[in-house]
Amino acid sequence: MIDLALQTVPGVADGLLPAAVLALTALLLFGIDTINPKEDSLALLCGISVGGSLLALALAGSLLAAGYEATPVYGDALMIDGTSLFFTLVFASVTALVSVASYDYLRDQDYCAEFYALVLFAATGMSLMAAANSLATAFVALELTSLPSYALVAFLKTDEGSVEAGLKYFLVGALASAVLVFGISLVYAATGAMTFSAIAEAMVGAGDVAGVLGLGVVMIAGGVAFKMAAVPFHFWAPEAYEGAPAPVSGFLSSASKAAGFALAFRIFVGAFPVEMAVPMGVDWVLVFQILAVGTMTLGNFAAATQENIKRMLAYSSVGHAGYALIGLAALSAGGPNGNVLGASMAHLFVYGFMNTGAFLFVAMAEHWGVGRTLEDYNGLAATAPVASVAMTVFMFSLAGLPPFGGFFSKYVLFYAAVESGFWWLAAVGAVNSALSLFYYSRVVKALWFEEATVPLEIGRRPVGLYVSVLAAALGTLILLPLFGPVVETAQTVAAALF
Amino acid sequence: MAVPPSYYLLLSAALFCIGVAGVLTRRNALLFLMSIELMLNAANVNFVYFSQFWGNVTGQTFSLFVIALAAAEVAIGIGIILVLYRNFDGVDVTEATTMRW
Amino acid sequence: MNQWIAVGALGVVAVGIPLGMMAASSMLRPTVPEQGKSAIYESGEVPTGTARVQFNIQYYMVALLFVIFDVETVLIFPWTVIYRPALEEGVPLVTLLAPMLVFIGILVVGLVWAWRNGAVEWVASPRALKEKTES
Repeated sequence: MIDLALQTVPGVADGLLPAAVLALTALLLFGIDTINPKEDSLALLCGISVGGSLLALALAGSLLAAGYEATPVYGDALMIDGTSLFFTLVFASVTALVSVASYDYLRDQDYCAEFYALVLFAATGMSLMAAANSLATAFVALELTSLPSYALVAFLKTDEGSVEAGLKYFLVGALASAVLVFGISLVYAATGAMTFSAIAEAMVGAGDVAGVLGLGVVMIAGGVAFKMAAVPFHFWAPEAYEGAPAPVSGFLSSASKAAGFALAFRIFVGAFPVEMAVPMGVDWVLVFQILAVGTMTLGNFAAATQENIKRMLAYSSVGHAGYALIGLAALSAGGPNGNVLGASMAHLFVYGFMNTGAFLFVAMAEHWGVGRTLEDYNGLAATAPVASVAMTVFMFSLAGLPPFGGFFSKYVLFYAAVESGFWWLAAVGAVNSALSLFYYSRVVKALWFEEATVPLEIGRRPVGLYVSVLAAALGTLILLPLFGPVVETAQTVAAALF
Repeated sequence: MAVPPSYYLLLSAALFCIGVAGVLTRRNALLFLMSIELMLNAANVNFVYFSQFWGNVTGQTFSLFVIALAAAEVAIGIGIILVLYRNFDGVDVTEATTMRW
Repeated sequence: MNQWIAVGALGVVAVGIPLGMMAASSMLRPTVPEQGKSAIYESGEVPTGTARVQFNIQYYMVALLFVIFDVETVLIFPWTVIYRPALEEGVPLVTLLAPMLVFIGILVVGLVWAWRNGAVEWVASPRALKEKTES
């Protein structure tokens, strides 16, 4: 305990700077709102939160480019390394996109400062989740992400859909966090440790309590599956994404999901190494194989039957959680683990851009008063060609068609799975991708080839939404030439985890 | 004679199961919150006992964190339940069904 | 045969004594039913109704703020446990004090924000104002 105090240095290790910038930006927004609660300038608030998230992005990027060495900080409670910085890149870019897009969304709303502050607090929590090196910090960071998210989903206080979505998200989330805490308590009971390295060491002597440990591990898997929106805890996702304000849906389905994966990679690779856990009978790889196949299949089949665009995107995001889960499901003792885990991280990176972009396009359509079903999108390309081109890019990229970013990330992911000897996971993924092409192309067909039933009047062009949708599309396209470095970085930092 | 560890595990598992049963059967959102609280406190029993069992204070400290976060969660939850009451005239969680499941 | 028998015996005695006293007094005392005895005791006041009424929503606001800030203070406990031993070990005062000051500072930012946004201001409801003017 005293050792811990000695190691605690006030001030921030430079690897923590991105998270600190996000947190300080949120506090600054609170400060501005405190000075003048009634008349906040929306442009100022938006500018500050975009600036803060871009600064965090730049810091994380430059640290990552400089080849940051893994440093444990605060008595091993946090671990700043390539993985945490890589995920911070994802979170900061999604936060920046969502902040820009919310400018138009918040024009007629009160509580703009609170909205931005909550988004930034959630982003802080996410970047801490990616850096967690102890079950205690993992739980606290997860709650720091979850609590603002509940409030954001229920942000439209007088809208029944938003409130209902917030309620369901909260109920499932509270249940999942209780399960996670109980799982942590069982792991602590079996090992007497909280930090990942200490748990891994204590597992050697924990053979006779493998039952308690195994139950704890399964419960922890359940808790993080909620954040990923993977199968046993996925059913909040369609409700929450449909009811929530569309920028928030984009934020949750990209950044929050990636944070869940970051945490899962950290916990399972760090605390319960495959080569030790599986011989003990604590076979979490099998759990994730079942989850991956179930999540992919259920997400894609459910998405194919949806008429409502937001619900379709929600189920598609469940399906993508299934693809990313391959990163954990294809691990084996001594296999090329870094490759498959890194491929999964790269997929989440690309996914952050294309999925946020797709939700922001929906936000734009909502802004114009277009309905929510597929039919309402008929002929939208005639009135809004630029945005429709961007949406087409997102859809094809999500489906995994060449030459878009989504194709490369999926290709590398499936290739790495085959390389690790899990060809059947790759096969299930490929079949599901083919199915997903069906429902994504329906959106494209509605946009470009169908005739509009009602002539559409578009009032003004929302600047913030346009900027963010185009930025996301540009991000998806820029990742084509840049994809090599991204995958290499991801696989290098992932290999460092083992 | 010390009480063996398995008794504590049984106690906490029983508390946790009562909480789960409450979550699954209750329709009142406030009772749901109380059941969640019960589940969190079941974990706290484990933390406090095994902290003493292993002879480090990590578990006890973490149980304080769990208590604090449970309070924060309840605060958010009650806020959501308040807007639920205003929009749906009640706190029955099964009544909010404008979207299909 | 173990100590649990003692625990059980204690339980039996603990339940038995009050039950026995109640039984003894009900056998000894005369029974004179009266309205004043069966009424709910309200600190000597005349009871005005049931306790199942809807409270003003602002009680909840204050209660929520209280719950959050009250419970956050438990996080100071572990810090106080190590404070003195660490100081004696020669950890600089700033190193020990700064994290807690930052923590409390963040709480203060939240409290000031809530205050400025009127979370602790008591707004009299229209109904309460009406009742006041009528009486």
